[in-house]
Amino acid sequence: MPTWLGPCGACWVIMAERRKLEAAMLVLTALGTLLLVPPLVYIFSQPLTHFGVPQVVVYLFAWWAIIIAATAALTHWMPRDPDGVERD
Amino acid sequence: MLSADFVIATAVVYVGLLFVLAYFGDRRAREQKSSFLHSPAVYTLSISVYCTSWTFYGAVGNAARSGLEFLTIYLGPTIVFVGWYFVLRRLVRISHLQRITSVADLLSSRFGKSSRLAVLVTCIAVIGIAPYIALQLKAVTSSIQAVAGASEFGQGSLAGIDDVGLALGVAAAMALFTILFGTRHVDAKEQHHGVVAAIAFEAVVKLAALLAVGIFVVFIGGGFEAIFSNAAERGFRLDTENTFNDRWVTTLVLSIAAIVCLPRQFQVTVVENSNENHLRVAGWAFPAYMMLMSIFILPIALYGLTTMPAGANPDMFALTLPMAAGQSGLALLAFIGGFSSATSMIILESIALSIMVSNHIVMPIVLRFTSGGRDGQGVSHLLLVARRFSIVLILSLGFFYFFFTRDSDALAPIGLISFTAIAQFFPAVLAALFWRDASLKAATAAIATGFVIWVWSSFLPSFASVSPQVAQLMQQGPWGISWLRPEALFGLDGFDPLTHAVLWSLSINILILVVGSLLATQSTLERIQANVFVDVFRRGNIAPRNVMRGAATANDLYFVAERVLGERRAAALFETAAREAGVMPAALDPSPEFIGRLERELAGSIGAASAHVMLSKVVSGVEVSLEEVMQMADETQQVIEYSQQLEKTSAELRSTARQLEDANAQLRVLDTQKDDFLSQVSHEVRTPMTSIRSFSEILLDQGALDDQQRQRFVSTIHQESLRLTRLLDEILDLSALERGERTWENVPIDAEAALERALTVCGALLSQRGMRVEFGGRARPTMVEGDSDRLCQVFINVISNAVKYNDAEHPLLHVTSAVRAGSYVVEIADNGPGIAKAERKLIFEKFSRGQRGAADQSGAGLGLAISRQIVARMNGSLDLMAGPLPGACFRVRLAVLR
Repeated sequence: MPTWLGPCGACWVIMAERRKLEAAMLVLTALGTLLLVPPLVYIFSQPLTHFGVPQVVVYLFAWWAIIIAATAALTHWMPRDPDGVERD
Repeated sequence: MLSADFVIATAVVYVGLLFVLAYFGDRRAREQKSSFLHSPAVYTLSISVYCTSWTFYGAVGNAARSGLEFLTIYLGPTIVFVGWYFVLRRLVRISHLQRITSVADLLSSRFGKSSRLAVLVTCIAVIGIAPYIALQLKAVTSSIQAVAGASEFGQGSLAGIDDVGLALGVAAAMALFTILFGTRHVDAKEQHHGVVAAIAFEAVVKLAALLAVGIFVVFIGGGFEAIFSNAAERGFRLDTENTFNDRWVTTLVLSIAAIVCLPRQFQVTVVENSNENHLRVAGWAFPAYMMLMSIFILPIALYGLTTMPAGANPDMFALTLPMAAGQSGLALLAFIGGFSSATSMIILESIALSIMVSNHIVMPIVLRFTSGGRDGQGVSHLLLVARRFSIVLILSLGFFYFFFTRDSDALAPIGLISFTAIAQFFPAVLAALFWRDASLKAATAAIATGFVIWVWSSFLPSFASVSPQVAQLMQQGPWGISWLRPEALFGLDGFDPLTHAVLWSLSINILILVVGSLLATQSTLERIQANVFVDVFRRGNIAPRNVMRGAATANDLYFVAERVLGERRAAALFETAAREAGVMPAALDPSPEFIGRLERELAGSIGAASAHVMLSKVVSGVEVSLEEVMQMADETQQVIEYSQQLEKTSAELRSTARQLEDANAQLRVLDTQKDDFLSQVSHEVRTPMTSIRSFSEILLDQGALDDQQRQRFVSTIHQESLRLTRLLDEILDLSALERGERTWENVPIDAEAALERALTVCGALLSQRGMRVEFGGRARPTMVEGDSDRLCQVFINVISNAVKYNDAEHPLLHVTSAVRAGSYVVEIADNGPGIAKAERKLIFEKFSRGQRGAADQSGAGLGLAISRQIVARMNGSLDLMAGPLPGACFRVRLAVLR
């Protein structure tokens, strides 16, 4: 957890890092959505089976697993909100 | 084998367990702020209330009927949670700062604390959720019937009770549970830690149950591959070609909207959130939960289709497959899992809806009719009663919907009807979060229109199977107008009914919201709230300034606070404020900030609009009008201007002080100069006076002198007195010039002629010294403004100086005149010793004489000073500059007259 005391050099780096992570999250969300709807989804919806399971089923669950892992990773790197509000 | 009575008994015991869990959860949460109940894990599990019996039973049925479509219901929320940083985080932050209690409260608060919008949203939510509650009732009823129907013990105590009776019983029991669970007391922040704990526990139970059934099915089915290939052999293939059609996109959009706008999801995700950072975990953990829930749906559905008899209800496969395999324990677990998912949904949904109903419908009515009367009855008690009645009302609506549509068989389509209704809030919610210009009128019209289209094209058609009138309406349209047919609006025929309803309702909703907002003007309060919402991260934690002001006494406010918050909380609030202000609680003078804080606290209990109305009644200034706000803005502006003026004035004062300092320094310098001048004058006068006195004394001493000597002495006295006269003349002249007394009319004169005259006058002096005059360029006759004699005097002065100080072997004078850049310039240079650097600044001063050069320095050192004054009077300049010859070079510059 960085200290957010003011415009210091390290904070600037963190801010820049934060912006990049925000962008990465936006890309992940948008790309994730695009990969679920036509036409992109057709690419993976061939009449094939892998281990007896239709390809598109494998694709959808793989999409799911990957996007969960990617979100977890991006969230892990994303610095916590400096002024997060607690309500209890 | 299971009996119906045993299953029902188990369910009752299970609910009892939940109740105990909720009770202790509540106590624990209140005692320890940092208990396990405030962890991100519990938060994530409570969000899993999204997976209802629609997931547990309906998804399997949906997968058996339409293949992969069931997945969209979980893929949509996954997208929302993957992008938690953009929408959910903002929503949570705003709701924390504004003490938002529901989606109706959110919209009402954003759009100018409008009660009307809150009422509209609440009504739509209550009506729109009815099918969803019916779905749960239907699922629970079907699951109990499935157990009873297969039981070798017969119907047990259920004998003679049909679906409707059973559903009524379930609904009544659920209403009772929910009232016991959720309305024991009114929490100031609408948080129900105990209920959330129970919901989280149920999330674990239903996941474990579905996973157990799934693993069991995969095990007896011989693995994924065998299940898929067996199903394919029997003709049950996934229709992958027609999966990704408009319906796929529609259900994806609906589920995205639903995860944000569903009252219970808003409740758990936003209102019950105790720490914003919990979203960081939920962002990936909730999608992971949904993925686990979905993994075995397809195998269960396909295995059920392959092995179960043709007429079996695919919605109940998760329960009937273990029963068919003789696994009573697993079947009981599956039943409890399905029951869990239904109860958690019903409890939370009706709590969330009852909060909306009591805050946005009952409270405003009560406030209107009690008109602030001091009946002493606690509002919190009234709220509890209102909520209990709302819960009964909500479950009744669900039951009635179930009653009228009991013939439809599938679960999932019923849920999608509710999703479509709730999705009507989504455009307004997004606009509330991101669009400053979205206006109340547009949002209200958009939601209302969307709702009307939903009623017509989605809600009404669900009664087609029970009502011949509706069926006829759908066939022919109202009064035979075919383009108004519910499932073919405006002639858009042949579409999937769901896609049709969503397309029309949402697109017209968005259109009205956008166009209306662009056309409508916002009220002041709306604009303030819009900025508060949109700039929530820019403002940080700064709460918006309250726009209420007036002469409320602390007593009045305390009375209001006590009615809503209860005595303890109200007292604590006022004592804190008094402590901060450093006064006794009784002497507290409510500041606008305090009223603002009180309003937010009240909003946490009764919603923003009601809190606003309630305080407006007590605070006599009511709400500030636009004029007052403008005036306040004006005053602010005036203060800003005043302070700017002050700054300017003080800057002026500073500069004046600086000027005065400068002037003072100058005066001191002048004073010194005056002293210098006097001593110089005395000195200059004294020298000739001394010689005059001594010579005259000698002359007075008669006899010792011959005539020749006497003659010489007398001429010396004469010369000295002439010198003295000249000196005094010069001094008078200079001081007159400096004081501006010696004035002359500046008239057009020929400067070149004046120079020529000066050269002629000095001719004798020059030839006496043997000085050669060299001319550079000469200007043609040039007119300048000035005095011809005075200008001539200046030239003579400069030339005579050049002669006097020149000690060169071949003295030379270089004279140039020219017209350059609108100026007449004369440069007079000599090849004398020049002027030492240190003296250059001084030579124009009085009594300053060059140190170098010829010994004959008869002048008093006033010539250059006088010359400079004269030239300055003619608006010109006299400078020393680097000339073409080694000696000094003086330049006279005068503006040419045009």
